[in-house]
Amino acid sequence: MANRLLSIFRFLFRRQKMEQDLDAELRYHIDRLTEHHVAQGKSREDALRQARIDVGGIEPTKEECRDARLGRAIERFLQDVAYGARVLRKNPGFAAAAMITLALGIGANTAIFSLVYGVLLRPLPYAQGGQLVVLHQNAAKAHINDLAFSVKEIADYRDQSHTLQAVVEHHSMNFLLMSKDSAERVETAVVSANFFDVLGVRPLLGRTFVAGDEAYGSGAVLILSYKYWQSHQRGDPAIIGKIFQMNDRPHTVIGVLPPIPQYPAESDVYMPTSQCPYRSSAGFIGNRRSRMMTAFARLKPGVTTEQAQADLSVVASQIERANPDVYPAQDGYSLVASPLREDIARRARAMLLVLLGVAGFVLLIACANVANLLLARLLKLERELAVRAALGASKARLVQQVLTESVLLSVLGGLLGLAFAPPALAVLVRFTEGFTQRVAEVRIDGPVLLFTLLISVGTGVIFGLAPAFSSHGWGGSAFHQGSWSTSSRSRHHLRSALVVAQVAVSVILLAGAGLMIRSFVRLQQVNPGFSPDRLLTMRISPGFPPHTMQTVRLLGDNILAKVKAVTGVETAAMASSFPFNPVGLVSGPGASDYEIEGKPPSKVDVKPTVDIRIVSANYFETIRQPIVKGRSFTVQDERSGPAVVIINQSLARHRFPNEDPVGKRIRFDEMMSWTPWVEIVGVAGDVKEYGLGQPAGDEIYGIIRNGFVNRLIARTSLDPNSMAAVIRATVHDVDPLVAIDQLDTVERAEYDSMASPRLMTLLLGIFAGLAVVISCSGIAAVMALAVSQRTREIGIRMALGANRSAVVSMVLRQGLALVLAGTALGMAGAAALSRLLSTFLYGTSPTDLLTFAAVSMLFLIVAAIACFIPARLVTRIDPLIALRQE
Amino acid sequence: MARAKSELLQGTLDLLILKTLELEPMHGWGITLRIQQVSESVLQVNQGSLYPALHRLEERGWIRATWKASENNRQAKYYELTAQGKRQLVEEKQNWLRLSGAMARIVGTA
Repeated sequence: MANRLLSIFRFLFRRQKMEQDLDAELRYHIDRLTEHHVAQGKSREDALRQARIDVGGIEPTKEECRDARLGRAIERFLQDVAYGARVLRKNPGFAAAAMITLALGIGANTAIFSLVYGVLLRPLPYAQGGQLVVLHQNAAKAHINDLAFSVKEIADYRDQSHTLQAVVEHHSMNFLLMSKDSAERVETAVVSANFFDVLGVRPLLGRTFVAGDEAYGSGAVLILSYKYWQSHQRGDPAIIGKIFQMNDRPHTVIGVLPPIPQYPAESDVYMPTSQCPYRSSAGFIGNRRSRMMTAFARLKPGVTTEQAQADLSVVASQIERANPDVYPAQDGYSLVASPLREDIARRARAMLLVLLGVAGFVLLIACANVANLLLARLLKLERELAVRAALGASKARLVQQVLTESVLLSVLGGLLGLAFAPPALAVLVRFTEGFTQRVAEVRIDGPVLLFTLLISVGTGVIFGLAPAFSSHGWGGSAFHQGSWSTSSRSRHHLRSALVVAQVAVSVILLAGAGLMIRSFVRLQQVNPGFSPDRLLTMRISPGFPPHTMQTVRLLGDNILAKVKAVTGVETAAMASSFPFNPVGLVSGPGASDYEIEGKPPSKVDVKPTVDIRIVSANYFETIRQPIVKGRSFTVQDERSGPAVVIINQSLARHRFPNEDPVGKRIRFDEMMSWTPWVEIVGVAGDVKEYGLGQPAGDEIYGIIRNGFVNRLIARTSLDPNSMAAVIRATVHDVDPLVAIDQLDTVERAEYDSMASPRLMTLLLGIFAGLAVVISCSGIAAVMALAVSQRTREIGIRMALGANRSAVVSMVLRQGLALVLAGTALGMAGAAALSRLLSTFLYGTSPTDLLTFAAVSMLFLIVAAIACFIPARLVTRIDPLIALRQE
Repeated sequence: MARAKSELLQGTLDLLILKTLELEPMHGWGITLRIQQVSESVLQVNQGSLYPALHRLEERGWIRATWKASENNRQAKYYELTAQGKRQLVEEKQNWLRLSGAMARIVGTA
């Protein structure tokens, strides 16, 4: 190896000595050979000539000797690189156009790939993350996916499965962290003691939970998330041992987590299950239907997900058979185990893959464009190349040189693209944060850089190969013709094909963007069923203690009265949630059991599911949700009289198809026992509670009577944002110890609820725009080249009497023919590919005719302009000059 | 020159060079002569391919070169076998014997 390096070194850096040696060596041979021939009776002159013939010429032999050296390949490569760099320096316009085009393509791909890699491909930051699975309980026939788990269900899977090493549970709760004069809501994850051991997470500070922490009666302990520790505890290094008051007892901090994405939810603090007042109550633990938790598990070593799934399906049917009252056969109970890595990125997956495909398309267009530029440049070089071929340069050598130049170009483009990538990625990350926790792991690092390098070199080879091999005329035909004004037909065809392909791919992207835009416009036009403007909402959380179920009733009344009295507040209401609540957007409608009087569910019926909202009397008036039948709630309903409910139109349609629901009675299942019958007094209009794109589900609105619902909703007469501080202060005037958070306007929540379609529309639009710009600049370049190549022909036509406009339209026609062919091809491609977008489209068919027509029109107009600009160059041609040109 | 300037089999030139250098260090011209002499002029080395072959073998580390005064008192580039070259020669020799034996059996020299 060392020898080899030494020899390469000698070859590259001791050229002169090597050349002298080679020269002397051959001279010696020739001399001896000449002497030999002289000795055989030849004249000195003839002998020398014969000697030279014998060795096959001195220079070719020298060249072959040099070729035998390893350093030669490197030297050639360096020569080619230097030559390529010189060419690029001499053609700054070409170099800049090609590099910027490539940089856009490669930069876009690098940014999207960083996201795809970080979210979908990077191994989980947990020890042996591949063994972690998430358990999902489904009741497929009852249309319930992702039913939460009860304590008993988790215990069953833990005890009866054979493939799971451990099962852990998780649920989120909000608790108040109390200090002397204020209270703060903390998102609390309630987990099994072995939660962190199963995930394989080591604490940054202190320790994680041990089995003893989960025992009832042990001291309450907390683990802080890294984010919460940084933002709320100022990264206090002495935090371990600090005591917080929570749920009316002291909690000691025992650890701080490292900065990792938290699954299944981002939380501020963690506590063991025994510390959650709800989870630890005997009634909750004993009831198989008290479902609140998420469950996940670590597979035993060597067990595949499929094996675990088979095992768990058996357990599920055992559970189903043992508890027929809880899992009626008609519900179709099942359990699905899915790998955590897939589960954690489930919501982002489809979107990311579509974006990666789209970015790939943009890169293809960029490649085609640069290939065309390169072809145009080679055309000018044809003569030089022909001369070199005639002088003995092999075709392989010339191809190698063209390829080196194109790869040099693409690598430079890639470097430039890397400069674009971080800002683009920052925007992407901000947009995708809402979809998966793993966005936090997205960064441009080794694997991403490797990807960038690979696609850079790959694109260089792809766009370099086409022109390199199209030049079959290098054998010298171009040279023999003595003129390069007639370019070879095959190369012309190749350029046309590249333009058609570029146009087709651009049209596909444009069609995709058009569909997304149309769908997004449709979505924004959806009537939400209420009026979201100037609505401010906040979550108000009283602590228990100091409050009791009796005192919170009064607290709610007081808060509402005081807030309504604030100048600038039109009206205010309290409710358990509000439309477009981001929490509801993720989880979807809840499933509550209810029964209509006189319509007992038959055994085979699927249990009706409904969302129950508890509201104060003026809720409908406040959010301006119309009451279409019967009456709204009154203040009297809050205080006394029989309990009443209001249902929405969707429920009325489903359950009272041909009758008036007002006056009918329903009852609810509360922890396995039925509540008294409650009368329906009104029907409210449907509201798009879970986002404009989601159908309105069945809703029942109950009136608040006892207790407290923690959403304050106020309609202001001024800008709601400007009112936030005043309203907050007013609430704290009533009770300084309630925590206030999630302060937002409903309009903002509506805007956020459309984040996903907006992101897709925006990105597809940007990519399509990029594609159109790149391909149209490509069309313009090719047209300009065609005109300059045909200068002579055009000159003749004009000399023979063709007028300028006829010549312009001839050139235009040829350009537009390519564009039309590409557009037609692109439409066909779009029709075939747009199905992939169907999950992202709202109220728009993937083959929406109007969109396709509009998109092709738009593209044709832009492309026509791109054709027209170079076609006008024709008018500058002077027939006299053109004819003399040679 | 007219006689038997048959193309040498691929790789046989390398073997001839190594074998020739086994006896003593030699320059290119000497190698040409030696092969002709020993083969009784049956084998004529194509002088155009001799030098590239020498450079290739040197590149591989099988032979190394030094400048020395030659028999006619001029500086000439002498090649000699390296240790690696000696090992290679043994191997190439065996290969050749196997091949030529097989060839002989097929063509039927008996």
